[in-house]
Amino acid sequence: MKRHGANREQIIELLEHEGGVTEQSVRKVSGETGVPEADIWGAGMFYSLINQPGKRVRVCDGLTCQMMGAEQLAEDLKESGKEVERVICLGQCDRAPASLDETMNLVTYGKTTHISPENSDLPMNLGGAEDMAWSALAKAREMGAEAVIEELKAAGLQGRGGAGFPAHFKWSSVRQQVDQERYVVCNADESEPGTFKDREVLLRRPHLILEGLAIAAHVVHAKDIFIYIRGEFTNEIASLKKAVAEAEAMLGDVTVHIAKGHGAYICGEETALLESLEGKRGMPRLKPPYPTEQGFRNKPTLMHNVETIACVPSILRRGGTWFQEQGRTEAGSKLYCISGHVNNPGVYEAPLGITLDELVELAGGYDGNPNSFSPGGASSGFLPMKYRDLPLDYKSLADAGSMLGSAGVVVLNDTIDMAQAVAWQLEFFERESCGQCAPCRIGTQYLRRQVHKYLETGTVDSLKMTSDVSWEMEEGSICGLGMVAFKPLQTAQEHFPEAFQKRSEKQ
Amino acid sequence: MNEVIGTGTFEIELNGKTVKARVGETVVEVARREGIDIPTLCHDPRLDPAGACRVCLVEVEGQRRMQPGCAWRVNEGMKVTTESPRIQRHREVLYGLYQADHQLDDAGLPVPSANENQLRSLCEKTDVVSLEPVEAPRRGRDHDVNPYIQFNPDLCILCARCTRYCDEVEAVSAITLAWRGGETTISTAGERGLLDTSCELCGGCIDTCPTGALIEKKAPPLVQLQAKPVKTTRSTCNFCGVGCQLDLHEQGGKVVKITSPPVGETLNDGNLCVKGRFAYDFINHEDRITEPLVRGEDGELHPTTWEHALQVATQGLLKVREEHGADALGFISSSRCTGEENYLMQKLSRAAFGTNNIHQCAAT
Ligand SMILES: Cc1cc2nc3c(=O)[nH]c(=O)nc-3n(C[C@H](O)[C@H](O)[C@H](O)COP(=O)(O)O)c2cc1C
Ligand code: SF4
Repeated sequence: MKRHGANREQIIELLEHEGGVTEQSVRKVSGETGVPEADIWGAGMFYSLINQPGKRVRVCDGLTCQMMGAEQLAEDLKESGKEVERVICLGQCDRAPASLDETMNLVTYGKTTHISPENSDLPMNLGGAEDMAWSALAKAREMGAEAVIEELKAAGLQGRGGAGFPAHFKWSSVRQQVDQERYVVCNADESEPGTFKDREVLLRRPHLILEGLAIAAHVVHAKDIFIYIRGEFTNEIASLKKAVAEAEAMLGDVTVHIAKGHGAYICGEETALLESLEGKRGMPRLKPPYPTEQGFRNKPTLMHNVETIACVPSILRRGGTWFQEQGRTEAGSKLYCISGHVNNPGVYEAPLGITLDELVELAGGYDGNPNSFSPGGASSGFLPMKYRDLPLDYKSLADAGSMLGSAGVVVLNDTIDMAQAVAWQLEFFERESCGQCAPCRIGTQYLRRQVHKYLETGTVDSLKMTSDVSWEMEEGSICGLGMVAFKPLQTAQEHFPEAFQKRSEKQ
Repeated sequence: MNEVIGTGTFEIELNGKTVKARVGETVVEVARREGIDIPTLCHDPRLDPAGACRVCLVEVEGQRRMQPGCAWRVNEGMKVTTESPRIQRHREVLYGLYQADHQLDDAGLPVPSANENQLRSLCEKTDVVSLEPVEAPRRGRDHDVNPYIQFNPDLCILCARCTRYCDEVEAVSAITLAWRGGETTISTAGERGLLDTSCELCGGCIDTCPTGALIEKKAPPLVQLQAKPVKTTRSTCNFCGVGCQLDLHEQGGKVVKITSPPVGETLNDGNLCVKGRFAYDFINHEDRITEPLVRGEDGELHPTTWEHALQVATQGLLKVREEHGADALGFISSSRCTGEENYLMQKLSRAAFGTNNIHQCAAT
């Protein structure tokens, strides 16, 4: 009955502390918090890091890791006597294949990662030193809230979490709400397959994030900041905690809370994230109302992706116009993650609107003969190489039937069977659908099954109803997961029809 | 769940017709009042709208996406369309997806259940797209030995009406959604049987289930229900003084099931407690006393008339008063009595027998 409350907000963390969801742990947490046992069980069972207690190795099955032999790695580990679980993209595509050992420590088997070299003219400048003086916060206090928002507007800052929504609208909207209890939330759940940019910001520039959040809290009058960070990010959590301790004096009366995710991609969706923060199953809410109106604890909430918020300090330090000019076809610089068949996978800060060819040049060139690329995570589908000169920005990619999304660019060379690549992506969506609405819950299962059937039997008939189902997923789903989960199949069928023709035998 | 704007009543346009609407109403509420049928599955007026089954999607002018009519609140001048080629196609494919995740009969329709399967009714009326089954790995609780409530996961559409009812109406929270995606199912803490949970066995979950995935264990199975006519009689529950209305389902001269009248029709608003819904075995029980009995000199009970029985009781009571005084008597009325009956009981105690020793068993 009690929908909100401090006790309920703790339950997932308490379950983790007890080693995961068991009858005993649920009873204990219920006793400690007063939350009904069934609610604790139901919430806990949603999260894959705690719903099956026990120690095991987790091997990533994200697209890049699959391309780089994660299947074999999992087999080898099993053979060596380990218990192995396949898990969704761990955000280590640049070092693929990746895994977490029994104690949740990262073990990677691929290359070492690359970042753009230090350059103080880059807004994010991953390679640069941290500005521990927080001069942008001081400036924000001086300028006043409205002027800060004006600067964001001049900067043309778009949300870097995937949707590209202009940031200044959200800041103004929260400020306009009648309710004075407001929250700032940072979305550090980065789980879109192919994406690992927030990871580098968290590791290298945590002060940039905290300063950005402090500015946001100042502008919207929030006293509490919540950073929701995916639980697999052990090193990143440590980095963040250290920075929070260092920033205590600067933060003043604002409190930073670090909340861990527990293994659910959907909790990156903003309203699912809020449900999760409230100790519930991460099922997205209906929108409207938007988080800016009714967010965390149903109060006005400003939520941003890690990268978006980390852009804010440099915008204030050097001006909105300066930031805007860092872009080419759209405003600002952008962190592009690139992985797959390129020589130096990593995170490169480049003008928004850079082309694939230029980006791959930064990343040391193509590995093999490129056949396709996925420009912005699993949700963006696959594009053919004829788009190698297309600006990788929000509008151009949307016009091409794809999206920039999280800018997790994966290059696939001609050794990869496109139908197989599609199957990998569909497996991901099937597993990560929250299950709340039928178009997505049943649609993702249907598409994955039919593509597997096609791969097994080679019959084109298996795929004949997939476009109807895809149409309904887009039209009928509640949230952005279901609305795009068919994209890998749809785009691959459109651009690589030869990969979906009748096959004689199992490939 | 969009914002409520303005106050009082105003006009909206529903399928091209101007109709009156009130602040805070949803599209489904206005449409139903106007006699326009918007199908729903996860909607129960007693619960907060979930908008999850997607069956009630309508087109709202100015909105790019179709919106759930059960949750979308009207405001002045809003233009809503409930039938269009887009909505029709949406239903055809959506129902097809539901069918791909449902137990089907030989005709390819969702199987009928002992309780109504509304998904079947919707599919019957629609040119549903046919899809191969998805065979979701969904767990039930076969080991649950509770005597009243049966869950069949193969008929469950995960609308979460039961879990929301258990939480929002009963405040019991015995059942929950568990797992996620295609594995999502209705569960309990530790997947225990309902008897080992906070469940009060009110059966409200059965009542709200739109597909007959939850049924009364004690009620006859579908084949038996279909074999002979079933007559329903509206009655008042006599287990307590609240006066909940119930519908007695009678077959072959016996009550075989009890349900609540539909939501909104009677004061109990679709709700019943475990006694009202399930405790009807006494009606035909062999131990049931069906006539007045008086204990004879031989120490055994003998059938008699009401008149004689009351006479014997009166004499006995008067005798006690004569020998030991009025305060040697005490009167206790049953919790099944109404207010009027309780009033009469105290009158009997005070006026007829002259003692204030009067109590009502529900008071303690
Ligand atoms: C299925 C899904 C997953 C998402 N995952 C993330 C994520 O991991 N990180 C993130 O920042 N935003 C994610 N988003 C986007 C958020 O919903 C939200 O738009 C974003 O956090 C807003 O911040 P921004 O304006 O700074 O982009 C996701 C959206 C969807 C639909
Ligand atoms: S679209 Fe998928 S993930 Fe989103 S609410 Fe529906 S079932 Fe959940």
